Amino acid sequence: MDYVILSMVMLAIGVYGLLTKRHLIKLFISIELIATGATLNFVMLGLNNLGISQAYLILAFSTDTAVSAVILALLVIVKKKYGTSDISKIVPIESAERVEESVEAE
Amino acid sequence: MIVEIVSAGLIISACLAIFFDEAVYSVAALAGTLMLTSLLFALNGAYYAAIFQFAVGIGTLSILFLSGEMLSEKPATKTKLSSSIAVGVLGAVLSLPAIFYTIYTPTQVANSVGFGDALWSYDAVDVVLQGLVILAVAVGIGIVLYQRRKTSSQKLPEVAK
Repeated sequence: MDYVILSMVMLAIGVYGLLTKRHLIKLFISIELIATGATLNFVMLGLNNLGISQAYLILAFSTDTAVSAVILALLVIVKKKYGTSDISKIVPIESAERVEESVEAE
Repeated sequence: MIVEIVSAGLIISACLAIFFDEAVYSVAALAGTLMLTSLLFALNGAYYAAIFQFAVGIGTLSILFLSGEMLSEKPATKTKLSSSIAVGVLGAVLSLPAIFYTIYTPTQVANSVGFGDALWSYDAVDVVLQGLVILAVAVGIGIVLYQRRKTSSQKLPEVAK
């Protein structure tokens, strides 16, 4: 059993999700998977010295939680401002209005 | 044997979290991933890490369930059961290298340091607190920049008049 390979697979799944998915919640889940893979690697590499690895893990968890909070706040802002959670449909409202106006003028 | 099964379940639930179209199902699969990670920590003797992972995971998941319901639209097509099973099988295949192969990782660090010793004698708590201070500074800078931008955008129309 090798936890380095396991965490690398988790990282690969997260990166795949980041590259292919367009839904904001899915992107957030992908980032969570990457963070979980990193945490797993960190703890399992320190199995011979669990005290130190677990102590430094507190910092990793606090950073992870702060990142999650910021991303969730951004999700809410994007949903409020653009009305969608699909990143391929996010267009600045002003430019969308201009496009609509030009289409109507034509 | 239990560790291998938990590892396979970890990869399968991670694959399903990415694959599902419905946000709530994805979050449920992510819940499985986080809880199995916590279980893996506990099985390897890292009890503090398991407890931290469990607590952080519960908080993240509760927020994610709420925001998943609030922020996501219902997809036009439902995920097929057969394709979900196929992704599960793919996850099981992806977990095989981790179970059967090993990478040489030298571990020459002394193993006599306990959790409390690491925090107090080896100054880990200092590093953690410094990290928190840096985080607080980063958040503060972000707030200041946001406020400055907000005030400058309010002033611009007045100048134009």
